Formats: sequence, C-alpha cells, structure tokens
Amino acid sequence: MPEAVGITNLPNQRYKIILREGSTFTLMVAGESGLGKTTFINTLFQTTLKQHADVNERHTRLASTSPTMDIDIVRSILEEKNFKINLNIVDTPGFGNSVNNHDSWVPIVDFIDEQHESYMKQEQQPYRNTKKDLRVHACLYFIRPTGHSLKPLDIEVMRRLSMRVNLIPVIAKADTLSPKELDAFKSRIRDVIEAQEINIFTPTLELDDAASAEHAKQLIESMPFAVVGSEEEHEVSPGQYVKGRKYPWGIVEVENEKHCDFKKLRSLLLRTNMLDLILSTQELHYETFRAWKLGGDEEGNEGANEENGEISKKPSYRKTRRLHNPKFKEEEDALKKFFTEQVKAEEQRFRQWETNIVNERNRLNQDLEEMQSKLKTLEEQVKKLQVSKR
Amino acid sequence: MASAEIDSISQSEKHSVSPTYESVKQNNRDLVSDIKVIKRKLNGYVGFANLPKQWHRKSVRRGFNLNIMVAGESGLGKKTLINTLFDKELLGPDADAEPEEQPDEHTVRTKVHTADVDEDGVKLQLTVITTPGFGDSLNNTDSWKPIVDEINRRFDSHLEAESKITRATITDNRIHALLYFIEPTGHSLRALDIATMKQVHEKVNLIPIIAKSDTLTEEEIMDFKRRILDDIEYQGIKTFKPQEYENEDEDFISNTKSIMSRMPFATVGSLKEVRTPDGRIVRGRAYPWGVIEVDNEEHCDFIMLRQLLIRNFMEELKEHTANVLYENYRTKKLLNMGIEQDNSVFKEFDPLARQEEEKALHEAKLSKMEAEMKAVFQQKVSEKEKKLQRSEADLFARHKEMKDKLTKQIKLLEEKKQQLEKQKSLPQDPPAPAPTKSRKGFLR
Repeated sequence: MPEAVGITNLPNQRYKIILREGSTFTLMVAGESGLGKTTFINTLFQTTLKQHADVNERHTRLASTSPTMDIDIVRSILEEKNFKINLNIVDTPGFGNSVNNHDSWVPIVDFIDEQHESYMKQEQQPYRNTKKDLRVHACLYFIRPTGHSLKPLDIEVMRRLSMRVNLIPVIAKADTLSPKELDAFKSRIRDVIEAQEINIFTPTLELDDAASAEHAKQLIESMPFAVVGSEEEHEVSPGQYVKGRKYPWGIVEVENEKHCDFKKLRSLLLRTNMLDLILSTQELHYETFRAWKLGGDEEGNEGANEENGEISKKPSYRKTRRLHNPKFKEEEDALKKFFTEQVKAEEQRFRQWETNIVNERNRLNQDLEEMQSKLKTLEEQVKKLQVSKR
Repeated sequence: MASAEIDSISQSEKHSVSPTYESVKQNNRDLVSDIKVIKRKLNGYVGFANLPKQWHRKSVRRGFNLNIMVAGESGLGKKTLINTLFDKELLGPDADAEPEEQPDEHTVRTKVHTADVDEDGVKLQLTVITTPGFGDSLNNTDSWKPIVDEINRRFDSHLEAESKITRATITDNRIHALLYFIEPTGHSLRALDIATMKQVHEKVNLIPIIAKSDTLTEEEIMDFKRRILDDIEYQGIKTFKPQEYENEDEDFISNTKSIMSRMPFATVGSLKEVRTPDGRIVRGRAYPWGVIEVDNEEHCDFIMLRQLLIRNFMEELKEHTANVLYENYRTKKLLNMGIEQDNSVFKEFDPLARQEEEKALHEAKLSKMEAEMKAVFQQKVSEKEKKLQRSEADLFARHKEMKDKLTKQIKLLEEKKQQLEKQKSLPQDPPAPAPTKSRKGFLR
C-alpha cells in the first residue's frame, strides 16, 4: 500500500505555522465607566491585565472642566498551551461621563479609523515586514443594566461603531436583573438593534456542520450577552471554588450558564470565533476603510446625510484629522476674539479720524467762505469806486 | 490565581529594517519609544489557544492551492513525475503538444494546467506550469528567459491585485516551487542548468531533481549528487531548505534531516502498477533485471520529494514565497519605481505621543490662523489708513489751491482798490492804460 499523497496533512501544516507564529488580537471595551469593563477583561483572561483606575484619579477626571477622553492601551503577550498572542486591550475610560455627551463617540471612532489608516500606510511601504497592527478585532459595548432600553447615546455610538468594527453588545452587571427582566431587556435591545439597522457581529452558521451550527445558533440567540465579572473566588461546596460575586442571598457564578452568558461570550471571543473576528476585521472592515480611503471623495463628508434626517448605512469617514482636545477649540476661539477686538479698536480709531477730517473740512470751508465774502466785499468796493470815478 | 506572572518588562520596540536600507534605518531611531508590554504565561484555560485549531478548520473550509512550475528538457519524465506525485493522471501524455502544427521549435513557452485534487475532504487546487521547449534547441542561451518572465509576471500581477482599491479576493497565482529536472548524465550540472538556476533562485523555491534516476547505479547517483551539490554551492545557488524552528518534535526534525540529505532528489516516476518478484503490486517500472519501485526509499528519493513538496512543507513553500521571495521582489520593484520608504508610519500608537502630536498640529494651525488673520488685518488697516490719509491730503491740497486762488484775487482787488482810491485823490492824473487793460483782462 503506497503512502497517501499527503494533502490531508495540509491543515496540520497550517496549524503548526499558526502555533509557531502566534497571533495578534486587539479587543476594545467601550461604555460608561462603572460598568465593570476592567473587571470583565481581567476575568476573561484570568489575570490582572488592567489595573482599576485610581479612585482619586477618577475624581480629578470628573472634576476637571474639560475632560479629555484618553484612549488607554494595555499591551501584553500571553501564552497558553505554548501558544502566544499579542493581546491589546483598548479602553475608553471617560466615555459617557460628561454631562454633555454629544460627540463623545468621536475619539473611539477616530481611533478605529486611525488604526486602519496606519496599517494601510505601513502596508504601502516598499519594506513592510515590521508592521504595527492595532486594528480592533472586536469591540465590546457595555450597556447599563437599566432594564428599560437602549439610551439614545448607546444607539448613536453603536450605530457608528458597527459600521467599522465587529461590534458585540454586552449587558454589564447582569446580576442586577432577574431572569425575567433580563429576557425582556434583551429582547427590547434586540428590537432596537434591528430597527436601527445596527450590524452586530454574529457567527456564521455553517449548516454542513450540525454541532458547530447549533453552537453558533445558541450564541446568536443569547445576544446581547449578559455578563458578570469577578476576579474573586468563593467556595460553593467544600473544596470547590468558583469565580463569582458573593451576596448575602447567594453566589453569582461567572462561569455558570444559568447565572450569566460569560461562557458564551468567551466562546465567541476566543474559543470558537476568534479567527472569524480576525478575518472579518481584515477582509471586511479594513478593506472597506481602505477602499474608501483610496477611492477618493465619492462618499465621506460626515454629517451631510444625517443633517437631512437620513441615516446613512455606509460608514462616513473623515478626510482630515480631527483634534480631540476641547482646549484647542477654546484657544482658537480666543484668538478669533482677540482679532475681533483689535478690528473693533481700529474701526473706532478710523471713525474718529473720519470725524476729524469732516470737522477739518468744515473749518477749512468756513475759512474759504470768509475769504470769499472778503473778496466779494472788495469787488463791490472796487465797483463802487469805478462807478464814482466815471 | 490562575495565572503565573513571569515578568513584566518594559520592552523597547525596535524597528528592524532591511540592512540594504541603512540610511532609512538611521532616521528610524527617533521613533523608538519605550512601550510597556505585560508578559504572562497562563495556567488556566482561557481559550485563545484554540486559534490554531480554528485555523485548521478554516483552512479545510477554504481549501488549499499550489502553483508549481516544472522545467527541464523534454523526455525527462516531468509530466509522469507530477502525475506520480499526486497519484493521478493530471497531465496527459500530449498535454504540451500543440494541435498538429509544430510551432517554432526554438521558442520556449509556458503552459498552464490546473486540476482539483481531493484527499479525504481536503481540497487542493493545483496549477502546474510547464515549459515546453526548454533546453531543446541547439542554442539555449536565454532559454531560461520565459521561466523568469513567467515568475515575474505572476509577481507583478499579484502586486497589481494587492494595490487595487477593491481586492476582496486575491487568488494566489505566484509560483510556489520550481522543480528543476537535471538530466541523469552522471557528470555534473550543465551551463544551462547553472544559468537557469542562478536566474530564478532568488525568486522561487528551487527544488532540483535528478530525472530518470534508474539509468544510474547507486554509486553513480551518489557521485552525481555530490558534484551537483558542489556546483550549487560554488555558484551560490539557493535551493529550498525548510527553516528550523524551536519546539519542533524530534521525529519531525530527524525526518526533515533525512529528506534534505537526499537533495537533489533522484526520482523515478510511474503510475503503472507492476508485480514484484516477491508478488507485491507496486507503482514502478519492470525491467528484465528487476522492478524499480517508485514508493521505495531504497530505490529512489520519490517519497522524500513528495514529503517535502506536499505532506510536510507545502505550506512552508507558500509562506516563504509570500513572505520572503515576493516581498523582496516587491521591495526592489517599488524602490526602482521611485517610491520612497517612509519609516515614520511604523510606529506604535502612544496616547501621550499622540497628544503631543495633536498639540503640535493645533499650534501649527493656530499660528497659521494668527498669521493669516494678522496679514488680513494689517492689510485692511493700512488700506484704510492710506485712504484716509489721501482724503486728508486731498482736502488740504484743495483748500490750499482755493485759498491761494482767493488770496491772489483778494490781493489784486486790494491793489486795484488802492489804485482807484489814489486816482480819486489825484483826479488830474490820467490812468495808466496798458497795465489796467491787461489786469482787467485777467480778471475778466
């Protein structure tokens, strides 16, 4: 029996190459502060990647008159079963914290676009073997567990995010909602998502593979995922510890599917669909951006459509770079004001000058008139003299 | 705690740049910044370690493709070997023959054959590029040109495809391996072999093969191989060598070693099944003096070649083509086109640096705004000033003119008056006629 040709071994070769090379994965978390984003990240990766923001710092941030929204990035190299990933966590700490949240999505959206642009520029270089890649593969959007529905700000931000990134909405701190409330909340959110045509990331149903299709279906049906995060472990039965939150009335177990959707979300993000997230970022979101960027002006012009009350389904990217520090605008305004005042002062001076000229003219005219009348008198005198002579 | 922290270091990000572009590298130093990277090994099961498995699945779903080129004089059994490799009649006996008319015998052409191969649900789209006519004419100078042209053309069209605005699906048509067939002369490489190999070895994974090795005895093959390897080394020709990686298991490493020890691969191809004296049915060639078995490592290097080309290293051949050979080609081509390397785009995203950058941009904008506004302001002010000065000057000038005129008239009249008064007091004096007349005329 001759040996097989060996084509069946090709997927194993691919496996080996990926195992050897590792991968890069960039995960963004967005949403108001206080929704447990940091805790969730640390729970997901079972290690303290992100330090909680210093409470004192939180105060200074809230107190400062112009809160700038800083993008915070945690870079890490994690190894699990000899497989290494370059994991980047992108956090948007101040999001939704100010009283006026209009445009608070701008830095997030700009960050995503900037990473695509940066990757594109690197890719265009003659020598490009050392590309820095911070393209966001998934964006977890944390929704406050109000039990009502999505806030207009949530809708606004999600709609924009969904056009340029794999958006995964998440109900934060789900242990504050009873199962019944949660179901109702989820279905309301799903309705809004559908009505607003927000494209959230969904795994593809591979119908030829029943087990995988069933798993994907379960994931889709659980969206938006209700999560509870906890870095602490509690004893549920003698000797058995689980991650969870301990209340006087019981322990919420993070990894218990009856308690929350943490495991499903983890499966979607890492265990089953991580590659789909990576590939759709590369093949869909990045390519869409790139095609727009290279394609010129046909679209773009942000806000143009929306002013007409029309919601565009295509992402509207910005041509020029936007600066995010509100102080900059203030400084510009101050400069403009300074010049306006200077102009006013000069105008005042000119008006005075004009008045002076008019006065001077009057004075001179008077002078001339006097001379003229003197002339007239003289003429008359001369005439008289001439007459009397004859 | 499920994780064990090994270390958390501050890693200085280096931008490694090809040594050819030293000057570029210099500028790059400024961009090096310290970026903190957390490094940890996890003990618990988080799940990203599943990614290679996900790739495995995905690769089966998406299928594989391979483009190989075969070069060598006609009659060396190139097509038979390809068929034997894939155990399938992919190329017919007259796959290269042109219908009826014999084309110009002195030209080398390239011909493309495609086939879909499926082995236990794993699909491979195979493209074989043959070069009929290679080495067949009396004067074979430049007979390697169509081979090089074909490799370049495929690189060029890949470059074009990846530069397009929409590039949703790029099929990889680049040549992943060149099987170069050496005639079993028993001597050494010929000038044409060396010339051709030198032309292509930096553009394609070169795999030299001793064709129809059943015409050489074991000893002759050993000597022939040694001489070929000497030539290859002396000429600085690069042939495909799988890279060695850490964590490779020992069996695999020793297998790779034994594969590579057989280079250049002495092969015999045959799809025909023959019966051996001891009664086995094998793929091989039967001679009165015995049966040469294709799939017998002691008879030829066929199995080793196939392991290299398909079972163990096909994906490596493709990776090397895409990441090294194509990239080098592309870099050279773009630089020759005058596209300059801009290393400033290879920088880590750094919020602080970005704030600085934005501040600089803002300040530049601000000072530009200020300069523009100042310029406009100054221009307007000076225009207005000039206008006012002019009207002032006009006013004075006109006044002066009028005043002078009036003063003159007054003076004249006064003189006249005095004269008249004088005349009155001295009536006997006759008036001086001439001056009065002229003065009268002047006053009208």
